[in-house]
Order: sequence, then C-alpha cells, then structure tokens
Amino acid sequence: MTAQAADVTLVVPAVPDSIAVIRQTVSGICEALGADSRTVGDIKLAATEACTNVVLHAYAGSGDGTIELDAHAGPDELRLLVRDHGAGMTPAPLAEGLGLGLPLIAALTSSLTIVEADGGGTEVSMTFALRDPPPEP
Amino acid sequence: VTGNGRIEATAAETGWSVIAMSGEHDLSTAPELRARLHDLGDANPLIIDLDQTTFVDSSILGVLVGGLRRARERNAPFGLVLGAEAHPAIRRIFELTGLHEVFPIFASRAEAQAALSAQGSAS
Repeated sequence: MTAQAADVTLVVPAVPDSIAVIRQTVSGICEALGADSRTVGDIKLAATEACTNVVLHAYAGSGDGTIELDAHAGPDELRLLVRDHGAGMTPAPLAEGLGLGLPLIAALTSSLTIVEADGGGTEVSMTFALRDPPPEP
Repeated sequence: VTGNGRIEATAAETGWSVIAMSGEHDLSTAPELRARLHDLGDANPLIIDLDQTTFVDSSILGVLVGGLRRARERNAPFGLVLGAEAHPAIRRIFELTGLHEVFPIFASRAEAQAALSAQGSAS
C-alpha cells in the first residue's frame, strides 16, 4: 500500500477569478500524485468546466455564493467533488456558451455523478484514473 | 491568484489583425477576448495565435466560435494558429469537441496569411 496524498478541501467565492485558484490547486495535487501531463491537463479542464458551471448557473443573480472543492486522492485514482449551494440543476440556458461543459466533463472522467448536495445545490463527483501510480515512498 | 492569461491584439500595417494569446484562459478572460474581437472589427483578416497558450476552456471556445461565425457572415478571412510546438492541451480540447474540424487551423502565422490571402482573393 502506498501512501496517499492528503485529502484537500477548498472553499472559494463563486466568481470567475476563483476558477484558476481551483485549477492550480488541482494541478498541484495531480503532479504530486505523479500523473502524466496529459492526465493533469484533462483533470484541470474537467475541474474548470465544473467550476464554470457553478459561476454561471448556480447562484444566478444573487451575487454571492461559494464553490467547494473536495479532492480525495487514492493510489490509482483521483476523485474531485465540486459542490455549490445554489439553485440546483436547471435546464441549461442557451443564451451563453456552447453547452460543451458537461459533455467535456463526461469525456474526461472515468466516472461522473451529479446529485443534489446536502442542504441544496449541486454536487458533481468526478473520478479520474491516474495513468502513473504515485512514486514509492 | 488569478489566471495568468494575456491577450495582445494588434492591427498590423500589413492589413492583418492578430490576437496573440498566452498562458491560461477561462471564464475570467473570456470577456476580454470578446472585447478585443469586437474592437478589431471586420476591417482586416483576423488571425488568433494560440501557440503560447497553455490552457483554454469551453468559455474561450465559445468566444472563438462567435468570432468565426461573425467572420463567415461577412465573408472575412479568419484563422487560428496552432503549431507543432503548441501546448498539447490546446489541441486536445479542440479534438475532444470536434472544433478542430470547424476552425481553419494553421501551423504558423505565415501559413495562415498565405492560405487566407488566397481565400480572400478567390472570393
């Protein structure tokens, strides 16, 4: 059994500038786990798309709210939970964007579930296979 | 900490408008890209150079698709530069979304200018 990287929790305001903070955090976790560059890129993209959905749709009009990230690292996979406490899943408005966010996430993950978060809102659970196992201690 | 993406737009005296993007781009820089596209207008053929870009998301793709759509409506040359040395993540998102088959993508600015000039003179 190899040592696991510590789980990480991050809570940031649901604003566009926060997305890079989460992306850089996720990137650091991936690199610590020894993921190859393509896997790191895929996970960064999926995390970005999940957070973008929160910023654009979860708290529409309210002006505040948070994005919560939980990262659970195992020897062979990384699970990311992106949670908001906003309006919940609603039909995607067509006025902005191409609607590519969720299809991209689905293409980049080995498993994806989207459920109502405890206390309301949405929780996106994404699991990624890590191409390379973490280095031996 | 914010995204480190930079966007430089130039309307060259050669008659070409070039937007050179570098670093990482997402929802936080999409409005700036949209504004630069709007400011440059349709007077010149437009090249968007992604060679120094290390990350783009679907927000950026949405802005690029909007630019391509407007260019096509006006029959204005529009192309992307994504060379062999470009970051693999950029080509990957274009391929995942199928947009690599939608955009005219060139290996260099010179190649884009040559091809788009031919297109302009042919139309």
